[in-house]
Amino acid sequence: MASIASVCRTSSRGIGRQLRNHASSRAFTASAASPAAHNFTMPAMSPTMTEGNISSWKVKEGDKFSAGDVLLEIETDKAQMDVEAQDDGQMAKIMQGDGSKAVKVGARIGVLADSGDDLSTLEIPPEDSAPSKSEESSKPPPPEKKESSPSPPKQDSAPSKPSPSSSGASGTPQKQNYPLYPSVQHLLHTNGLSKSDADTIPATGPNGRLLKGDVLAHLGHINKSAPADVSSRITKLSHLDLSNIKLAAPKEKPKEEKAAADGKKEKAAKKSPEVKNVALPIRLTAVLECQKRLQDTLGVTLPLSEFIARAVDLANEELPRTKGPATADELFDSLVGVKNVYTSSGKTSRGGFVPEINTPGLLAAAPMKAKQSGKEDIMDVLAGGKTKKVASTRATKNSMATAMAENVFSVNAKSGEEKRARVFLERVKSVLEVEPGRLVL
Amino acid sequence: MLSRTVPRCAARPTALLRPLRPHGAPVRPARCSIDRSRRGYASEAAEKDLVIIGGGVAGYVAAIKAGQSGLSVACIEKRGMLGGTCLNVGCIPSKSLLNNSHLYHQILHDTKQRGIEVGEVKLNLEQMMKAKETSVSGLTKGIEFLFKKNNVEYIKGTGAFADEHTINVNLIDGGETSVKAKNIIIATGSEATPFPGMTIDEEKIITSTGAIALKQVPKKMVVIGGGIIGLEMGSVWSRLGAEVTVVEFLGQIGGPGMDAEIAKQAQKLLGKQGMKFKLNTKVKSGEESGEAFKINVEAAKGGKEEAIDADVVLVAIGRRPYTAGLGLENIGIETDDKGRLVIDQEYRTKLPHIRVIGDCTFGPMLAHKAEEEAVAAVEFITKNYGHVNYGAIPSVMYTHPEVAWVGQNEQEVKASGVKYKVGTFPFSANSRAKTNLDTEGMVKFIADAETDRILGIHIIGPNAGEMIAEGTLALEYGASTEDVGRTSHAHPTLSEAFKEAAMATYGKAIHY
Ligand SMILES: Cc1cc2nc3c(=O)[nH]c(=O)nc-3n(C[C@H](O)[C@H](O)[C@H](O)COP(=O)(O)OP(=O)(O)OC[C@H]3O[C@@H](n4cnc5c(N)ncnc54)[C@H](O)[C@@H]3O)c2cc1C
Repeated sequence: MASIASVCRTSSRGIGRQLRNHASSRAFTASAASPAAHNFTMPAMSPTMTEGNISSWKVKEGDKFSAGDVLLEIETDKAQMDVEAQDDGQMAKIMQGDGSKAVKVGARIGVLADSGDDLSTLEIPPEDSAPSKSEESSKPPPPEKKESSPSPPKQDSAPSKPSPSSSGASGTPQKQNYPLYPSVQHLLHTNGLSKSDADTIPATGPNGRLLKGDVLAHLGHINKSAPADVSSRITKLSHLDLSNIKLAAPKEKPKEEKAAADGKKEKAAKKSPEVKNVALPIRLTAVLECQKRLQDTLGVTLPLSEFIARAVDLANEELPRTKGPATADELFDSLVGVKNVYTSSGKTSRGGFVPEINTPGLLAAAPMKAKQSGKEDIMDVLAGGKTKKVASTRATKNSMATAMAENVFSVNAKSGEEKRARVFLERVKSVLEVEPGRLVL
Repeated sequence: MLSRTVPRCAARPTALLRPLRPHGAPVRPARCSIDRSRRGYASEAAEKDLVIIGGGVAGYVAAIKAGQSGLSVACIEKRGMLGGTCLNVGCIPSKSLLNNSHLYHQILHDTKQRGIEVGEVKLNLEQMMKAKETSVSGLTKGIEFLFKKNNVEYIKGTGAFADEHTINVNLIDGGETSVKAKNIIIATGSEATPFPGMTIDEEKIITSTGAIALKQVPKKMVVIGGGIIGLEMGSVWSRLGAEVTVVEFLGQIGGPGMDAEIAKQAQKLLGKQGMKFKLNTKVKSGEESGEAFKINVEAAKGGKEEAIDADVVLVAIGRRPYTAGLGLENIGIETDDKGRLVIDQEYRTKLPHIRVIGDCTFGPMLAHKAEEEAVAAVEFITKNYGHVNYGAIPSVMYTHPEVAWVGQNEQEVKASGVKYKVGTFPFSANSRAKTNLDTEGMVKFIADAETDRILGIHIIGPNAGEMIAEGTLALEYGASTEDVGRTSHAHPTLSEAFKEAAMATYGKAIHY
C-alpha cells in the first residue's frame, strides 16, 4: 500500500507539472548564432504579462541543458509556467534567484552561454538597459521593429554588447507588435503621446491589441473602466450560450427492443452523475524500447496502440468491484478497516475503462533534435526522474514516439469508482513501464 | 497487488501480434501521433481515428480538415451526395434561383430606363432548374474529389450508434457495415420544422426543399414564416410571377436577429416588389378546396379570422435538429427540449470522444458557423485547442436588396442597457449606387457610446452580403467606428457607404 501511495504522490505532482507544461509552456530562444554569453531576461509569457515571480530555477549555475529542458518556473497572478530552452546551452549565471518577486518583463534574470563555452573565462555581459524606464518613452523606438513584426512577442536574448536598439525590443507589458489602429495613432499624435507610450497603456483588444477606447481611458476622456467593461461583454458574446439548457424529457429514449437494457444503463448513469477524471502519467519508454527490439529482432512493427490496447485489456480484468448496491457499505468497511475494497475476495469484475491519452510532451518536444544520449535506465523510469533524455537513435522513425515518452493516461470514473479507476491505471502503468515485453510474449 | 498483475499477463495465451479486441477495449488517444503509427499496421481491424456522421458542411469540412491533419477518417452520408442541406437543397440551389430570378425580374422591369430594349422575355423554368442542378452537382462532386485528395473514406449509408465506439452503417447500395472509431463527430444537420396539421408533400404543401424544385410558377403562394428562408424563396417565386403572401407570427420579418429598423425597411422594399405581408398573424388551419387551399389566419393576439387562397403553401417556420435513426438511445446522449444535442464549449457530449457540430446542436443554423465549428472540433481532437468567435458570425439574407449583419442589433443593445451610438448612411447618397440606379438601403453602425468600439453592423442594400465581410473583420479585431472611418475605401464603390456610416457614428459623414 505504501508503495502505491508514494507512486500516487509523485505522479500527481507529475501531472500537475505536465498539465501546466501542456497549457502554457513557451519556448525560450537563446539565439544560437551569437558566440558569447547572452543575457537571459524575464520573458513575457502572455501579451498582458508585465512582471512575474521566479518560483524556482530548474538548473543550477554551470548546468548544461538541452533544447526543451525546463530552465525555470515562473509565476504570475494568473498562472504558473515553465520556461523552456529552445537550444542547447549552459547556465552561466543566475541573477535573480528562487523566490524573486515582481521581476519586470525584460529585466535580466540570468546569463546563458553556449554548451561549449568555458564558464571560468566567460565574460559576463553588462545588463541591457532596464525595461520600461520612463525616459525611454520620449525616445521613439526604431520604427522597423515596431511597425512590421507580425510574429508573437519574441524574448529578446540580445547579444552581449548593449546596442541602443535592444532596449525597445526587450518587451514592455502591452507591447504593440501590430501596426497601431488608425484611431489609436490619431489619438496618440493629437495628444502629444509617442508610439512607445502605446506600450504602456493597458490594452483590452483581442490578443492584447490597443484600442481607441483604451487610449481614451488613458487620457481620462472616458471612464477608466469602460474599455474593460465593453471587452468583457463582447467576450461573453463570443461563446456559445450553453446556459439554461433544458434537457428533453427522457421518455422517448428507450426505444425498440433494446429498451430494457438501455433503461438499466441509463439508471446506472443517473445514479452517479458525478464523473471524476482520474489521471496518471505513464512513461512509454520501455514500450518504445520493446517495440524497437521487436523490430530489430523480428522485423515486425507492433504499433504502440497495440501495446496500450493489450495493457488496457489486461488491466481491466478482475478489477476490484466498487459499484453496485453494496458500494457504500464496502467503502465504509474499507474505511473502518474491516475489509479492503481492493482485496475483498470474489468482489472483482471486469472493468470497462478506456483511458484517454494525452501527450503533453509533444509540445515541449517539438523543437527537439535527435540526441545520442545513452540508454534509459529503468530506475530512472520508475523514479520518474529526468524526462527528456529518451534514447532515440533512430531519429526519423522514433521522433514521434519519443515525443510520447511521457503521457497522461486518464479515465472518467463515476463517483465511487475513482479507486477502481486508479487501480486500473496503476495496472496499466506497471505493465507498460516495467515489462511491456510480456504483452507480446 | 501490482506484482499479481504482471505474471498474470505472462500466463495469458497471447499469441504474438494477435489483434486484441476480445472485449472491445478500444484505445482513444487524444493525440494523433499514436494513430499514425497505428495506420501502418495492416492486419489491424479497421478502427478510425475519427468517424463523422453526416456529410453536410459541418461533416465534410471536419473530414477534410481531419484528413489534412493526418488522422484516419471516414465520413458517413446517407444522401448519396456530399454537401448536406446547404449544397443540395439549401444555400447553393436557393442562391442559384435567387440570382437567376433576379436577372429575369430585372430584364423584365428594369431595362428600358437604362437604355436597353429587349424583345419578348420568356421564362424557361426547366432550364433555370437545370442551371441550378449544374451548380449543385459541380460543387458536390468537388467535395468528393477533395475527400479523395485528403484520404477521407466516404461511406454512403445511414449511420447509427451500436455502442460508444461503433457505428453501424446501412449502406445505400444494400448491405451493412460497421466502423469503429476513437473519436466521433455527429453532424447530422437539421430538417424543416413541420406545421402541425399540414402534411408536407413537397408539391403543394412544401418546405424549402420543394420550393427550389417547383415544376411551374404557382399563381398564389402563401409563405408561412417570414424568416430568411421564407423571404428568399418567396422572393424567387414572386419575381417569377407568383402572388406571394407572407404570414408571420411576430411583429417583424427576417427573424429575431435582424435589426428592427432594417427589417422594416426590408419589408417596405420587398413589398414594393409585390410581396404581401401579414405580420402578427397566426395560421390557424389549412383546408384543401379542389386544386387549391384556403389558409385560415387570425391576428396573433386574437381577432378576426381571414382566409387566404393559395395553390402552393410554403412552410418555413424554422428548422429543427435532425437526429432520427442515429441510435442516440443506445449510448445515452442527451438532447435539449428543442432537440439539440447537448454539448460543452469544446463540442463534447457527455461521452467526451463524441462531439457534435453544425445545425444539430446549439448556435445559429448557418453553413459558415458549421464550417468554423468543424475546424475547431478537429483541432480540439488533434491539438486540444480550437476556437470559434460566436460574436462575429455574419448573417445574410439574399433577397434584393440583400440584408446582412454581424454583431448585436439595436434592440439587443438597447435591452442590455448599454449606452450606444448609431450612425447610418443611405445608399441614395453613394455615388456608385447612384450610377448603378440601385440606391435603396443603408448601412448602420452601432458602437459603444464611450469607447466607440463597434457592437454591431447592419446593412440593407445591393451587395450587402459581400460588404459584411469587412464588418466581421472589424468586429473580430475589436475596431472602433473611427478605425473604419479612417481606412481608405475605393471610389466609386458601394463600400464607401460603409465607411461613411462609420464616420457618421463617431463624427459626421462627408456626403450626407
Ligand atoms: C433553403 C435553405 C437555404 C439556406 N441558405 C443558407 C445560406 O444562404 N447561408 C447559410 O449560411 N446557411 C444557409 N442555410 C443553412 C445551411 O444549409 C445549414 O446551416 C447547413 O447546411 C448546416 O450544415 P450541417 O452540416 O450542420 O447540416 P446539413 O447540411 O443538414 O448536413 C447533415 C447531413 O447529414 C446527413 N445525415 C443525417 N443523419 C445521418 C445519418 N444517420 N447517417 C448518415 N448521414 C446522415 C444528412 O443527409 C445531411 O446530408 C440554408 C438552409 C436552407 C434549408
